Amino acid sequence: MKEEKEIEVTSAISSGMSSGSSSVLERKQVPPLEVRELPKSYGDTKIVLLPKDPWWCFAYWEISENTFSELRNLYGGNFKLSIRVYDVTNVNNFDGINANKFFDIDIDNINVNNWYINLPEVNRSWCVDLGIKTQDGKFITISRSNIVIMPKFGVSPLTDEQWAILQREFERLLEMSGISMIGKGSFDIAKLMKERWEELLFISQLPQFISSGFVSSFAARQEQIELAKEFFLKADTELIVYGETMPDAKLYINGDEYKLSKDGRFSLRIHLGDGTLHIPIKAVSSDGSMQKEITFLITRESKEKQF
Amino acid sequence: MVEGYWCLVLHNHLPFVKHPEYDDFLEEDWFYEAMTETYIPLISVFQGLLNDNVDFRVVMSISPSLANMMTDKLLQDRYYRKLSKLIELAEKEVWRLRHQEPFYSTAKIYEEKFKMCMQIYERYNRNLINAYKELLFTGKVDIITCNATHGFLPLIITERAKKAQIRMGVKSYENTFGKKPNGIWLAECAYYYKVDEILKECDIKYFFVEAHGLLYGEPRPKYGIFAPVYTPAGVAVFARDLETAHQVWSADVGYPGDPDYREFYRDVGYDLDYEYIKPYLHSDGVRRNVGIKYYRVTGRVGLDKKEPYVPQWAQNKAAIHAGNFMFNREHQIRYLRSIFDREPIVVSMYDAELFGHWWFEGPDFLNYLFRKIHYDQNVFRPILPMEYLEKYPKNQIIQPTASSWGDKGYYEVWLNGSNDWIYRHLHKCEELMCAAVDEYHRIAAYDGIKKRVLNQLARELFLAQSSDWAFIMTTGTMVEYAHTRQKQHINNFLKLYNQLKENKIDEGFLNWLEYKDSIFPDVDYRVFL
Repeated sequence: MKEEKEIEVTSAISSGMSSGSSSVLERKQVPPLEVRELPKSYGDTKIVLLPKDPWWCFAYWEISENTFSELRNLYGGNFKLSIRVYDVTNVNNFDGINANKFFDIDIDNINVNNWYINLPEVNRSWCVDLGIKTQDGKFITISRSNIVIMPKFGVSPLTDEQWAILQREFERLLEMSGISMIGKGSFDIAKLMKERWEELLFISQLPQFISSGFVSSFAARQEQIELAKEFFLKADTELIVYGETMPDAKLYINGDEYKLSKDGRFSLRIHLGDGTLHIPIKAVSSDGSMQKEITFLITRESKEKQF
Repeated sequence: MVEGYWCLVLHNHLPFVKHPEYDDFLEEDWFYEAMTETYIPLISVFQGLLNDNVDFRVVMSISPSLANMMTDKLLQDRYYRKLSKLIELAEKEVWRLRHQEPFYSTAKIYEEKFKMCMQIYERYNRNLINAYKELLFTGKVDIITCNATHGFLPLIITERAKKAQIRMGVKSYENTFGKKPNGIWLAECAYYYKVDEILKECDIKYFFVEAHGLLYGEPRPKYGIFAPVYTPAGVAVFARDLETAHQVWSADVGYPGDPDYREFYRDVGYDLDYEYIKPYLHSDGVRRNVGIKYYRVTGRVGLDKKEPYVPQWAQNKAAIHAGNFMFNREHQIRYLRSIFDREPIVVSMYDAELFGHWWFEGPDFLNYLFRKIHYDQNVFRPILPMEYLEKYPKNQIIQPTASSWGDKGYYEVWLNGSNDWIYRHLHKCEELMCAAVDEYHRIAAYDGIKKRVLNQLARELFLAQSSDWAFIMTTGTMVEYAHTRQKQHINNFLKLYNQLKENKIDEGFLNWLEYKDSIFPDVDYRVFL
């Protein structure tokens, strides 16, 4: 989407350690950094499970051509991909039948090769089978993943006697330890600088400053070449949409969720071409109980004149 | 009577960016800027404290990727050229602004700063490692290592590849500093179960986790995050204090956003006449930041409304903030002492690049802070982890929880829709690396070229594993470069691996990779055994 692209340009300038906006450089006598695509597959049949946070896992898989044709021979074309997620907490030597419980996720598109799995419970261990479901609903395992012990969430109920502490004191200590700050945004330079840059953009509405940061080196060079050719005029327009809402609200612009800055502000640059643009902006409160929507209708019309 | 301790940890890291194949390469600026703005100014602050007999303590983790850039001849020479140009520009600026206060004073500051950098740089023969060694020797600074290329350990799948990252990080440290490291910084402060076993095997004494790594540990930590604990493998672990993190980082209450401090985004690279500034830009002539900035944050106003920087105001602010930071520590530590049966330790961890690069006055802040702590109070003292462990060798045993210091506290920054595609390739390379080492390590003992191939495979895999690429993809900053590097190292690895398997090693290609991706001259593929 256009908007996404614009956002990416914005962030390119607010880079953590760099000063520039683009990596396009004059590369003397050497071809530009080569970007060959990576292999589509490695001819393996496997599934791998990775932890993302206490509530989510990520699984990716690959099914080799051989495995696929075997499956086709056995079951015809009548099967669906499916993954079976096992709770294997405290299970020794998981063998496919001794899990605490499991649930299935049917993958409707045969070309999908990864999935974010939302887990029903925290502080457990999980294992995933990649398999197929035959027409009669039978699950057949193709490959089994590694076991993942999830990152813990919440204070452990266990205390050890030797290091005992009163509950009330412990609660005070948790407070002192900043337990309320856990996970509330990261402390890293890239993020801080990006937020500052976005704020500056939001405040600096003078076009000269907005453009100074935005011109990518590529665009700038193009301009110089054009200059040498012939007299010309080029003009275009961009639109800045900005505003603020509750910092914990969800914001949707044109139906896409847009990340708010810490204090609930947002600003977005959109290319504004000829025609009419509808920009619905919707905010939904964190508990989902309230929402507000503002829609902009913007029309641009250009006229050219030759002398 | 001292009631507790404060431990400052500065994590110094940049991804290995070196492009000998180009005369001028934009992303190498990350390194040059950090040298001028952070690494050298910090060394200067610590040396100043030593000269004035001010007691201080600081843990500096220097990632092996960064250490390798600091010892690289090409980058050393390029930085020398870069800094020389900057000095030239600063001198011109001082002349241009000779009748214009307060710009003149600010220009003088840049001139002095750049010249101080050059002086220190030359004194250590263009190799900052020499300066770090000197600091290490004083006993007031502990320099620790990091896993080899800052690989994100929880998302490395094989035990052997995790081990290789850590072993290479330790080995590289030993070759750089001539001793074993006491501690390690796990990239992104990312802990996953059993990594401590590898640390134990490598004789590492301590590492760090994010606050909830300990708070959510099992069993409950008796002292919260204000005392180290031992992991089940027997390595000491210190947790990050969030209050001090918040004080510096927070967008609304954090120090660096003060109106008197220097504004990062208003740079002469954009402001000055094009012909005048052009010689100091990259060869493509595009306006970018050059590192001289004359305006202050001012407030929440647009870039055009920024007011001139007044050096004296900024210095006063840095001193006030240092006083405020110290005052808060006194209170925090006094209170903790009143409920503890021992002296607490508060551990503050920051990216070193915050100080100087982003927060221009950051190094001055640290300078004032240590001086104030030394002269103005008796509630707490700065301390190093090893010193605290000597005082309190008996500590609770806790299984920390898997965690990181990234956004939301777990692994999402390095595993989300923008970067999850990299792991299937990285994991495949891990698998192939182990297979190649198993198959060829005996032959490699007497087959020079196979040995070189195995070593270069290790380098390519290490470089591909840098957590920086995935991080950049998430933040949306310089994404194109991160994609390129990510794919390039994986492709190089696969190509070289296939040549090895088919016994058709292209020595020209091998030479090229050794020249270009030259991290770890001391690499040893046997770290994968």
